[in-house]
Amino acid sequence: MKLERITIENFRQYFGKQRVDFAKDEQKRVTVIHGINGAGKTSFFLAINWCLYGKGVDNVKVIDNVGELMSKEAAYQAVAGETVRTSVDLSFLHNGERYLVRRVLQGIKQEDGTVRVEDSDSFTMMRTKADGQAERINNPVGTMNSILPVNVREYFLFDGEKIDNFAKPEAASQVKQAIYLVLKLEILERSRRHLEAVAADYRKELKNKSGQELRELLEQEEKARAEIKKVKERTFELNQEKESAENKVADIDKRLREMENTNTLQQQRDRIERELKQRRTEMEEVVSIVRDLATSGYFVVAQPAIKKAILLLEGKRARGEIPSNFRQQFIKDLLDKMICVCGRPFADGSEEHRALLAKISHGLPDALQDEALNTCAVLQAFEQRTEKNKVDVDSAMRRRAELVDIIRSLEAELDDVSRQLKGSPLEEISKLERNREAFQADIQDFMLEKGTLKEREDKFAKQIVDLKKEIDRARREEKREVLLSTKLDLAQRAADAIGEMYQTFADDMREKIQEKTKEIFKKLIWKESHFQDVKLGQDFNLEVIDRYGYSARPELSAGERQVLSLSFIMAMSRTSDDEAPLVMDTPFGRLSSNHRNAIAEHLPVLADQLVLFVTDEELRDEARQNLESRIGAEYRLEFSPRTSCTEIVEVR
Amino acid sequence: MHKDRLNNLFESFDPAIRNIVLGVLDIEQEHISMEKPRVKDHINDIISVAAKKEVEKLAEEECS
Repeated sequence: MKLERITIENFRQYFGKQRVDFAKDEQKRVTVIHGINGAGKTSFFLAINWCLYGKGVDNVKVIDNVGELMSKEAAYQAVAGETVRTSVDLSFLHNGERYLVRRVLQGIKQEDGTVRVEDSDSFTMMRTKADGQAERINNPVGTMNSILPVNVREYFLFDGEKIDNFAKPEAASQVKQAIYLVLKLEILERSRRHLEAVAADYRKELKNKSGQELRELLEQEEKARAEIKKVKERTFELNQEKESAENKVADIDKRLREMENTNTLQQQRDRIERELKQRRTEMEEVVSIVRDLATSGYFVVAQPAIKKAILLLEGKRARGEIPSNFRQQFIKDLLDKMICVCGRPFADGSEEHRALLAKISHGLPDALQDEALNTCAVLQAFEQRTEKNKVDVDSAMRRRAELVDIIRSLEAELDDVSRQLKGSPLEEISKLERNREAFQADIQDFMLEKGTLKEREDKFAKQIVDLKKEIDRARREEKREVLLSTKLDLAQRAADAIGEMYQTFADDMREKIQEKTKEIFKKLIWKESHFQDVKLGQDFNLEVIDRYGYSARPELSAGERQVLSLSFIMAMSRTSDDEAPLVMDTPFGRLSSNHRNAIAEHLPVLADQLVLFVTDEELRDEARQNLESRIGAEYRLEFSPRTSCTEIVEVR
Repeated sequence: MHKDRLNNLFESFDPAIRNIVLGVLDIEQEHISMEKPRVKDHINDIISVAAKKEVEKLAEEECS
């Protein structure tokens, strides 16, 4: 992140629109903003923070206890009902793309002179790509978190007088927190924790599923298919046996037809059997007709209701209510004009008036009249159909009864023929007929078994259809199970990978920061020969070792603590490798000239971009000279006691 | 870039694992300002995409 430009409008003591261009060249990367105490350095610093993060993001407070953000002068000059607007625009470069962020707060000037400020400000972020196309970013907070997160901000945009905190003996947790956030250890730790949680969810879900189900269903399907195969094989055998028995019967019939003594009886049997076959076919047709009539005879049940409805509608027709002699609209027109059918006018409440009103109230609307007439016709057709249906059913049932009698009689005739043949004095004839009877009995048994087998086959076929549906469902479930199991494996391995690398990475980072802090501290501290080493222990305690090998931190002066903290922050910034500006409010406040001089000399080299808010006293003499060649932009904040407003004046 | 350093850190791992880790790190970075971010759904999405690819790869290997 490299700051380009800021435009401040009606923010605290900055009245109207004022603009500052930040230095960002490789050589001249320092922007100096001068101001005496109370001129508006901290307000300017707040404007940058407010623009990027508002008053706070989620649980992190950015601006707290600083009074009104809106310019009092702007509020004062506005007339009642006018909108007062406070805004800060900030443009910056990040990863080769230009961003423009804008935060606006608006309020309406009231009659009593106060400004009713809106509950929340509006924040927009635009990104301009290399091809010049600008796009609005839909998730500005998330994007800011990726560029410079709010909780990392305080290590890059800070009040110079307060940074000595890191060097205080009790600051180990703060140091740890800073390293965690700036060097993304916090992100690694959160990633591992959340991946573990997701893996635990997958594991729980997987436990509730059973992989056995599909295997069991497939076994059931296999069994059903084996049963059907058996049934088909047995049916084939039965068909062959039945055919063989039928052939035997046909042979016997032929033999009986050829024999003189039995010829007549056999011919009689042939005729009876032909007729029996014909009647049985007719019987099947009649049964089918009865079944059809019965299933479509639902309206027979509704017959009493239909009859009642027809009577009701016919009654209305008989009384002349439908269709009425007059259309409703015609009567309404007469009532509107207050004239009789004959054209004579009538008075309100007169006999004619009452008669017409009665016709309106007893009559039906025109559309409903048409509907009622149509319904009447439809219901009459229904009634006719009901009658015909009853006649057809009666006729079919009568024929069925006749056929039952005929078939029974023909069967009796066949029995009689068979009895005569069995009772023949000739042994051969009697034997032939007994054999025929046995074969016929076999055929009947085969038919019975075939029927049972068909039922069994249908049962297993239906079972297979149902099983197929279940198997498809279980297959889909199993696929999901495989996917879930893969997800679990990946989530757990990813969490383990982070866990495995975390400590290595953390140790590496800690050592790098330790080395860098030592290197920078030695450059900035004027007693560099007195301080031998800087240590950042496993417990994240920042320690300075003196030439005697003793811990020197408790003895550090406030200025030395500030230098140590600054060294630590710079070390983190260098180690993180993320390009970020260093914006410091009153950086040299507590420092003596030798520290100021060293910082002014080395800081511009260590930071990618430096913005310093300083008093005139802070930056003078050698410190000023050391910084001079790096200053690319310089401004002066001029506070006017007359207007209580600050003007930003460009110095260079 | 610090991000490159993180990429390198997971270079020795299976590409599927590396992609998941880097994807999750991005999500966490976007939500770093939240104390209790709701990132489970995002993480699940990243893992689901990777898992589908893994299952397809496995099926192709079985076929060939």
